Amino acid sequence: MGREKAAMRCDVSAQNQTRQWPAEERCEGAANDVVAPSGHWRLAWQAADGRVPCSLLIDRRAFGAALVLLMALLMASLAYLAMGSNPLAPQAVLPALVGRGDIMAVFLVQELRLPRLAAACLTGAAFGVAGCLMQTLARNRLATPGIIGIDNGATAFAVASVIGLGVSLAPPAMALVGASTAAALTFGLAAGGGTRGYRFIVAGIGVGAVFGAITQLLMAKVHIDTANAAYPWTVGSLNARPAGAVTLLAVGLPLGLGAALWLTRALSLMRFSDAVASGLGLRVSQRRWQVLVVSVWLTGLAVAVAGPVGLIGLIGPEIARSLSSPRGVPVVASALAGALVMVLADLAGRVLLAPIEIPVGIVTAVVGGPWLLWILLRPASRNLA
Amino acid sequence: MDAVPHSGVFSARHLFMRLAGLMVLLAMICLASLLLGAGDVGPARALAVLMGQGDAEARFVLGSLRLPRTLIGLVVGLSLGVAGALLQAVTRNPLAEPGLLGVSAGAAFAVALALLLGATATTMRVGVAQLGAMVGCLCVLGVARVSGTGNDPVRLVLAGAALTGLLLSLTSLLLLFDQRAADEIRFWIVGSLAGRRLEHLVAILPSLLLAGGLVLAMARPLAAMALGERIASGLGHRPGLIRLLVIVAVALLVGAATATAGPIAFIGLVVPFTARALAGPDVRRTLWFCLPLGPLMVITADIVSRIVVAPSEMPLGVLTALCGAPVLIAVVRARRMPTL
Repeated sequence: MGREKAAMRCDVSAQNQTRQWPAEERCEGAANDVVAPSGHWRLAWQAADGRVPCSLLIDRRAFGAALVLLMALLMASLAYLAMGSNPLAPQAVLPALVGRGDIMAVFLVQELRLPRLAAACLTGAAFGVAGCLMQTLARNRLATPGIIGIDNGATAFAVASVIGLGVSLAPPAMALVGASTAAALTFGLAAGGGTRGYRFIVAGIGVGAVFGAITQLLMAKVHIDTANAAYPWTVGSLNARPAGAVTLLAVGLPLGLGAALWLTRALSLMRFSDAVASGLGLRVSQRRWQVLVVSVWLTGLAVAVAGPVGLIGLIGPEIARSLSSPRGVPVVASALAGALVMVLADLAGRVLLAPIEIPVGIVTAVVGGPWLLWILLRPASRNLA
Repeated sequence: MDAVPHSGVFSARHLFMRLAGLMVLLAMICLASLLLGAGDVGPARALAVLMGQGDAEARFVLGSLRLPRTLIGLVVGLSLGVAGALLQAVTRNPLAEPGLLGVSAGAAFAVALALLLGATATTMRVGVAQLGAMVGCLCVLGVARVSGTGNDPVRLVLAGAALTGLLLSLTSLLLLFDQRAADEIRFWIVGSLAGRRLEHLVAILPSLLLAGGLVLAMARPLAAMALGERIASGLGHRPGLIRLLVIVAVALLVGAATATAGPIAFIGLVVPFTARALAGPDVRRTLWFCLPLGPLMVITADIVSRIVVAPSEMPLGVLTALCGAPVLIAVVRARRMPTL
């Protein structure tokens, strides 16, 4: 939108110099002659009196990427609903979705698989966006919430609330507290060296190790049944998802996504150095706070549902970046890619070793671990910018 | 220890006093480890056994439970501390730690794989764990060397952390296949000294002696390596060979410790860190100080893990992570990363 306004100003000033048209015509002409920058579509709503109250620039490549990811997500969802220990024909899935057809199929789809699919999409999208935001904030593609210890913090607190350590708060609230605590610790400890570079990440790994140990400690203290109840949180699984946490995530994700979209312009400026960004009119420290809060919010809510499946935050944005144009920060594409990876990983976990179910956290770790190593050990590491 | 005269806090007399002090401290901690426990055999009853009397129950608890445990803690701490010091010296990286670089995770993965394939024998487990430790170690160091990132201490740690995460999830995946293996490994994989018998100790002794011989032979060349590879080869050493032999020693030590006690993180970071603070930068002196410091830390952590959540016990690995991670952060935060 900013570029479009600038283009409008340019037009007006050019016409002021030539002084060919009267004022009214100039305005109208300026509004209609605006040319979208290359690679963009411009959507404008023209009012009856010829003014343009609202207009929007859409990056064609980002739009295309989002479309491709959305199609892939829909296909994956269909497969997710059809496949399982009791497979359904694809043509039986769609009627079952609206409650028609074989009663068994309806039960399988509506009662068992659809809620889990919804949880997978929501958590995947939340992890993806949180990862994208944190990577942009730290200007380091390795700085995802999972790696810098925020997932582990949220997990430790959620486990504490599950095993009833005299805390009456629900897991989502506790997970949010834990995520904030871990984020505060990591950023506080790295304050001297800034958030750039690898030291920040190793400090985060240390914080994560402490919270991981606390989780283990909590599990060791309680009775085996209680420990089993808290076990899914420690590996990351969609099998035992608390209904309340899913509802909260369903409300919280649009809020977080909206906030992230609102921050998109600031995010694309934050990829530059602080000096450049503030020179371009960005209030850097204020924006950093907002980005951090959104990222922690999404991470905490998602961990409360699925546990630490942190590598989604690395893989999702990576896919989104490779598909989107480098002009902007791919928030929407990250959400879609995160959801896609989560759905596929959970599907693989359910199907590959059936009747045993592999927790989704293990699937993503097995797939994402080599990727992480590859990013780390490539000779020339590309910057995020 | 060597002929070069040192003055001030690192003079030979000071160092000897410190070493003697650590030995005394270690003896006291070992005694405490025999006297204190999670059960209802209190210090007074345990002391009576040590004096040559005492009832049968206390005698059993001391002889069959606490004594093996203390001895194993001694050996495990020694191996992990020395392995950490060696690894840090050979990579010249203060953050190199067997647990962080994927060596322990490699050993754990190998043991899980062996259990899955039907192994039960204790001796077999040790060899397998050492092989896994070796592969894990070579993986990280080799890849880091090829891609030229070995010079950046922090990136090496990140690569190790990534490999550790990968190996741990692969281990969990293996355990999903096989309930029997999962049951057998469940108490081992968290890292603990509880429930280990003296046979475990006997099984690892030969490889520990071999590793000890390697360390003695490698101490001088390693000290030369601290000056840089070119100077070391100019002094008549062969850096490639030294590196390989040291890695073999590290794998033997870590594999043995892991096979006995399970993966225990951060001991190999904290012990050399403290040893360097006490002994100065020379790796030969650091190694001497690691000998009492490693067991001291492991046995202390073990005592705490028995007492904190009594009457149940806390895994030792948890406690070492709680104490070790802050040290990691402190090292990383230090304005000027200490180079080795």
